[in-house]
Amino acid sequence: MSVQLAILGQHLLNGVLVGCAYALIAMGLTMIFGVMNIANFAHGEFYMLGGFLAFYLVSLVGLNYFVALPTAVALVVLLAVLLQHSIFRRLRDAPTMTTTLVTIGLSILLEHVALLLWGPQPQSVPTPFPPSPINLGGIYTTPLYLFSMAVTAALIVAGHLVIRRTRMGKAMRATFQNKEASALVGIRIDRIYMLTFVFGAALAAAAGAVLGGFIPVEPTMGGVVTLKAFVVVILGGMGSFFGAIVGGLLLGLAEALGAGYLSSGWKDAIGFFAVILVLLFRPEGLFRRA
Amino acid sequence: MRETPAQHPIALLATLVVLLAVPLVVRDEYFLHLFIVSGIFVIVAISLDLMVGYVGQLSLAHAAFFALGAYTSALLFVRFKWSMWVGIPAAGLVTALAAFLLGLVILRTRGHRFIIITVAFSEIMKLAATNWVDVTRGFMGLPGLQIPTLTIPGIGAIDIASKERFYYVVLIAAVLTFLACRALVRSRIGRAFVLVRENEVLAESLGISAFRYCMIAFVIGAGLAGAAGSLYAHYVGFVSPDLFNFSWVTVMLIMVILGGKGTLVGPALGAVIFTFLPELLREALQWRMIIFGTILIVATLFMPRGIIFPLLEHLVPSRWRTRHARAA
Repeated sequence: MSVQLAILGQHLLNGVLVGCAYALIAMGLTMIFGVMNIANFAHGEFYMLGGFLAFYLVSLVGLNYFVALPTAVALVVLLAVLLQHSIFRRLRDAPTMTTTLVTIGLSILLEHVALLLWGPQPQSVPTPFPPSPINLGGIYTTPLYLFSMAVTAALIVAGHLVIRRTRMGKAMRATFQNKEASALVGIRIDRIYMLTFVFGAALAAAAGAVLGGFIPVEPTMGGVVTLKAFVVVILGGMGSFFGAIVGGLLLGLAEALGAGYLSSGWKDAIGFFAVILVLLFRPEGLFRRA
Repeated sequence: MRETPAQHPIALLATLVVLLAVPLVVRDEYFLHLFIVSGIFVIVAISLDLMVGYVGQLSLAHAAFFALGAYTSALLFVRFKWSMWVGIPAAGLVTALAAFLLGLVILRTRGHRFIIITVAFSEIMKLAATNWVDVTRGFMGLPGLQIPTLTIPGIGAIDIASKERFYYVVLIAAVLTFLACRALVRSRIGRAFVLVRENEVLAESLGISAFRYCMIAFVIGAGLAGAAGSLYAHYVGFVSPDLFNFSWVTVMLIMVILGGKGTLVGPALGAVIFTFLPELLREALQWRMIIFGTILIVATLFMPRGIIFPLLEHLVPSRWRTRHARAA
C-alpha cells in the first residue's frame, strides 16, 4: 500500500470513531428535538458527565473498567430522570426562547458543577487495554481504539433497532409525527417524553464514557460537542434519526480529513460553515426529500 | 400599557443626576471600574434587548458582535494607529455590516434554526480570532490599546484616560444609546417590531415585512454592540479570543431576561446589577457560574417579566404610576 493511501486510511480511521461519537450524541439530540420540540443545549453535558463519571469510577473509586462504563451511564440516566421531572417537564409546549434559555442555563450549571467537583485539568479514563499498536496493513491502531469503535458502532445499531423495531420506538415515532393523535390512541405522552430524554442522555453518556479513554475529559468539552451535534442534526435534517447517524459519521470524517490535509485549528469550522450552507440551500437537511 | 415608575421622566432625570455624581462620591478606583464596565454593558444589554425583547428572536451572536467590534478597533489601533474616536464608529460599521450579511442568510429562518446559526457564526468568529494568527496574533491577543485625548475645538485637548473622566465618556455613550433606542422603539418602527414579535402572520398580512424589521433590529443591535466592544477594548487595553467565549452571551442574556426584556430600562438596570453582583460574589468564584446558570433557569421558567418591574410594582403604590402610551 502506498504511503499516501496509508495516511488517508489513518485519517479516515481517526474520523470514524469521532464520527460514531457525534452520531451517538446527535441521535439523542435529534430525538429530543423531534419528540419534545426542544433544542437541548445541555445535551453535550451528558457526554461530558459520562466521561467524568467513568474517570471518577475507575481512577478514584477503583472500579473495574468494564463495570465502570455502564455504571457511569446509569448515573447519568438517573440525573436525566431527575432533570426531566424537575425542569424539562415544565418546558412542554413552551416557546423556543424559553426552552433554549433554560437549557443554556442548565448547560452552564452542569459544566461548572463538574468544574467544582473535578477541577479544570484534563483527565483521562484509565483502561485495561495494552497501549501496543496494531498494524492493519500500514494503518496503525490500538486495542482500545478497536474496542471503542466496536462499542460505539454497536450502540448506534442498538439505538437504531430500539427506534425502528420496538414498541417503545414505535410510540416515540408516533409521538414525533402527531402528539394529539398518539395520545388519542393511548400512548402516554409523558412517558414517551421521559423515555426519549433518558434514552438520548444515555447514548451521549455512553459516548463520553467510551471516548474518555482517548480524548481529554474536561468540563468544557460538553459545550463544543453540543454545537457539533447541532451541526449534525441540521445536516441530517432536524428530527431525522437516520440523518443523525449519517451526518455524525460524515462530520467526523470531514473533520479528520480537514485536520489532516488543511489545518487542525480550522477543522472545527468545517461543520459550522456546512450548517450555514445547508440552511441556505437545503434547509430540510441533506438526506431528506423536500 | 401602564408605565412603571422607573420610566417616569422625573425618575430618569433623578437617575441621571445620581449617575453624574458617581465619580464625586465613589473615590474607590475599583468601584469606579465596575461603574465603567456597567456603563459599557448597559449599551450591550439595551442593544440585545432590541432583538430579544422587541422583535422576539433569540440571537446568541451578540457577544460575537461585541468581540468583533473590540477586535476591529484593536486592529485599527495596533496596525494603523487609528485612535478610539475612529475606532468606535468603524467598529460599529463593521459589525453592522457583518450583521447585515449574516442577516441576509439567517433572518429567513426562525426558532431553533435561527438560534443555532447564530451560535455557529459565533464559533466561526472565535476560530478566526484564534487561528488567523498573522492578523489577530491568536491566543496572544492584541495588547497596548490606549484611551486617546479628547480634542474639542476652542477648548483644546482633554485627558480622559483617568477613571473619573472615562466614566463620563461611557456615561454619555450609554445615555445616548438609551435615548436613541427609546426613540426607536417608540417610533413606527418600534411598533412594527412588537407586532412582528406578537404575531408575525398578522404583521405580514398588514404589509409589514418581518424580515425587514428583524433586519433593522439585528443590524442596529449589532452595530451598538460593536461600538460598545470598541469602547471596552480601549478601556481594558487588550483583546483576546476569550472575548468570544459563550459565557459572555450568557451574562448578556441574564442582564436582559432578569432586567425585563422588551423594556430597555430593565436590561439597563440588569446590566448594572449583573456587573456588580459577580464582583460581590468574588469570594465564591467557582460558584459564580453555577449561580448564574441557576438564575437563568429559574428566571426563564418563573419570572418571564424579569425581577425589576414586578418588584417595583409590588413596592410602589399604584396611584404613583403614570399612564403613558409606549411601544411595549
